[in-house]
Amino acid sequence: MKKSNLLFYVVFLAVFLSSCSDDEADPIVPKGDYENGYFITNEGPFQNGSGTITFVEDGGSVSQNVYKTVNAEDLGNIVNSMHIADDKGYIVVNNSNKVVVVNRFTMEKEDVILGDDIVNPRFFVAGGGKGFISNWGDPLNTEDDFITVISLSTNEVLSTIPVGEGPEKMLLVGERLYVCLQGGYGNNNKVVVINAQDNSIVETLTVGDVPNSILLDRNSDIWVLCQGKPSYTGDETNGSLFKIEAGSNALSSQEFTSVQHPSLLNYEDENLYYNLDGKVYRFGINDAELPTEALTGLNGFYYAMNIDNGELYATDAGDYASEGTMKVFNLVSGDLMQTISTGIIPGQIVFP
Amino acid sequence: MRQILFLFLLTYGTLCAQDGSINNLDEIVLKGNFSPAINSGYEVQIIADSILKESYESLGNLLQKQANFYFKQNGNGMVSSISLRGTSASQTGVYWNGISINSALNGQTDFNTLQGNSFDELEVRKGGGSVLLGNGSIGGAINLKDKLSFEDRQSAFLLAGGGSYETYFSQLTAIWGSDQFYGKISGGIQSSVNDYDFVGTDLKNENGDYQNYNFSALLGFKINDYHSISLNASVFDNDRNLSRTLSAESFSNLESKDRRFLLDWKYVGDRITSSLKAAFLHEDFTYLFNKNITDNGSYGESDRFIAKYDFSYFLNNKMFFRSGLEYENAGGNGSSISSVTRNDATAYVLMHHEPFDRFMYNASFRLGTSSAYEIPFIYSLDAKYELSNRLSLRGAFSTNYRLPTFNDLYWEPGGNPDLKPENSVSGELGLDFKQNDFYIGGAVYFIKSEDLIQWRPVTQDFWQPQNVSDASNFGLEFSTGYNWTVGTHNFGVSGKYDYSIAQDDSIEKQLIYVPKHRAGGILDYSWEKWRFNYNLQYIGEVFITTSNSQSLDAYSLSDISLYRTLFKQVITLGFKVNNLFNENYQSVAYRPMPGRNYLLQINFKI
Repeated sequence: MKKSNLLFYVVFLAVFLSSCSDDEADPIVPKGDYENGYFITNEGPFQNGSGTITFVEDGGSVSQNVYKTVNAEDLGNIVNSMHIADDKGYIVVNNSNKVVVVNRFTMEKEDVILGDDIVNPRFFVAGGGKGFISNWGDPLNTEDDFITVISLSTNEVLSTIPVGEGPEKMLLVGERLYVCLQGGYGNNNKVVVINAQDNSIVETLTVGDVPNSILLDRNSDIWVLCQGKPSYTGDETNGSLFKIEAGSNALSSQEFTSVQHPSLLNYEDENLYYNLDGKVYRFGINDAELPTEALTGLNGFYYAMNIDNGELYATDAGDYASEGTMKVFNLVSGDLMQTISTGIIPGQIVFP
Repeated sequence: MRQILFLFLLTYGTLCAQDGSINNLDEIVLKGNFSPAINSGYEVQIIADSILKESYESLGNLLQKQANFYFKQNGNGMVSSISLRGTSASQTGVYWNGISINSALNGQTDFNTLQGNSFDELEVRKGGGSVLLGNGSIGGAINLKDKLSFEDRQSAFLLAGGGSYETYFSQLTAIWGSDQFYGKISGGIQSSVNDYDFVGTDLKNENGDYQNYNFSALLGFKINDYHSISLNASVFDNDRNLSRTLSAESFSNLESKDRRFLLDWKYVGDRITSSLKAAFLHEDFTYLFNKNITDNGSYGESDRFIAKYDFSYFLNNKMFFRSGLEYENAGGNGSSISSVTRNDATAYVLMHHEPFDRFMYNASFRLGTSSAYEIPFIYSLDAKYELSNRLSLRGAFSTNYRLPTFNDLYWEPGGNPDLKPENSVSGELGLDFKQNDFYIGGAVYFIKSEDLIQWRPVTQDFWQPQNVSDASNFGLEFSTGYNWTVGTHNFGVSGKYDYSIAQDDSIEKQLIYVPKHRAGGILDYSWEKWRFNYNLQYIGEVFITTSNSQSLDAYSLSDISLYRTLFKQVITLGFKVNNLFNENYQSVAYRPMPGRNYLLQINFKI
């Protein structure tokens, strides 16, 4: 059981591309201690304990455990992800079955969303006044997974939408919510398209095995990176990269040629980036073929990876039983610019 | 009656390391490989049935108090694992009448799935013991014993009581013996709502209720002066919900079952003793993530057949030999392990020699073969020198191993069938002083372990156990005790202190959940029909991250008990207060243990 827990917490990679880049109103009046910088969510120890939030201020100074510093309480067990929408942060605490709502500038707790409609929550996205939370339910039950819809103004649950096994990363494009069914404990290969207005399921797209990342490019096309089934299933499959065309939802894909399992898809300036076998690759969105050469200087088996402003941010969970680290590289030169200490199992890097 | 109480006092707490007596053939065959006669350089502590049967206490708590061992408990009544001399739970051998009962699945014993009350004696042997005892006895070993005696005797015991958090227990034991037969049956039940408050919070230990049943039977038949045969059976069922933590609720449930059977044929001749054992062990568990949804649990089980033959030959009154053969066939199956089997066969040889007065030593080795891995050749040397009648010096050096478990080898996903056994080298030196009712002793030890099996990420989502880590342990153990009488008042005090350093060699940090300091003290007082007992335990800080950046605070626990006998000792009433000072403590991070709690019990004996 211990090992399956282990897997349970490790199996899901955390990368998240924030779709919000709102401007802030008045730069003169500080809104809080955590206004200028970015966050790292740390899952915390596997079994007993609390996850934490690390804040990295512009200029590089690092504050650990900022949620507890401000609120004098633990965040909860397995902090899986955080989403920033306007002035709020939504922190998804997997094993504690809750979403903690904070003021993202001050880190002050504003509300906690929990109850029967939050069971094994994974990720959060927001848009159109609503928030969407992917939930596994009982991880051993393949038929009780769902998306919870909440009101961003009241934090009340509006409804739940049953989906297939293992909903994980989501992407909201206008009124369409795309949900990757990564598969939970198992392996799935679907992207569910939901009408975010009436919560109906528009379409279920079959993509490659184990879709682990989803994002939008400048042409409004959606990219889904599928890592393929791992070898231990006895039915190992190649990773693949799927494109869902804007509007039509038409699918096209490229398969990785050997048995390879890519993850941590990122996008910047018409290029996709991903981590594969301890290396980082770049793929132009108009390229015909997947790259064979890795980018230099960026090697590592990363637990989370983000690209921002020509820099690569990548975390290392170390032995998963003590503090991890995050490295910042210059994407072009591969030069290591900064290494910082994080909390235990740094799972997600969150830029406002 | 006073004499009885006094005897009781003398055996209370600890008494260790009896002199090896080469003239006593019976002892070796009765005590098997835990016999002090072939463990000259080691400390073998006996915990007598007077302590085991005194109250209905979890075996972990009992060993923590009596032997100053460290236990990691996932909350009261939950999974409880031992650490001896800074080693892991799977590096401590746990035996039932000489048969290894550590789980074939995870290599450990959960001490909340054993009922101390149902056994007649515990033998506790510290130090590396793989040569005599086999797999996994690196930090030490514990033998849970049922004792057989061919004498006229009929007795029955009933222990019943209850305590805080709606805890109830009862155990009934009946014994019938003659010069040819011996029979014992014992059965017990325990249940608890276990919803104690988390001291200093608004939370309770929700979903922590448990109930368990135990049943055991022992039948013995003395064929003649040389031969005897016995049949032993033991059943333990435990149904626990797994309690919440400070940071997360829980709805899960763990149900485990153990079935053990042993047939033992002993021979005690003039120069030869032997014992032929055949055992069958079954274990299974079912785990539900949500106890209300029962159709999608995970499960695991193993069945083991063990045949064991031990043989001793006494050459003269200065020397004897002992050797043994052991065969084990183990099968495992479960939701994460497809049906697997392994076969292991091992053999050992020991020579005991007393070349001159007051000096004795043992030299031994073990080798074996297995279908699943290579069993290393190991050896051991230990010796004792009695400097005087009161003072003795002992020392030991040994190599030891722990074999990979079914989970390590075959867990899906990740199991690594290419694993090697873990290897260790250990040594110790001890000095013991005994005079009348006073003893004091100490030992220093080291353990150097290599190829320790650890689950490591191969990629982000794929973990695999590998023989990757090395560890260095060293430490110091100290114990003392004194019993005395003033008029009708009998007193006993004992104390223990352990210092353990256990480091991961690659980072030179203390291993998590290994306290550097542990201490315990027992004060016992009896007068006429009364008995009073005070127990103090101190557990030092433990680190909970491998970088030693976070730790759990040290804590001290005080327990007191008061007993009064009635009707010529037919009845003993007992009252206990555990955690007298309401210490807020955690054995495992985020899993608080109970505050002050009470227990009332009655003991009938006829």
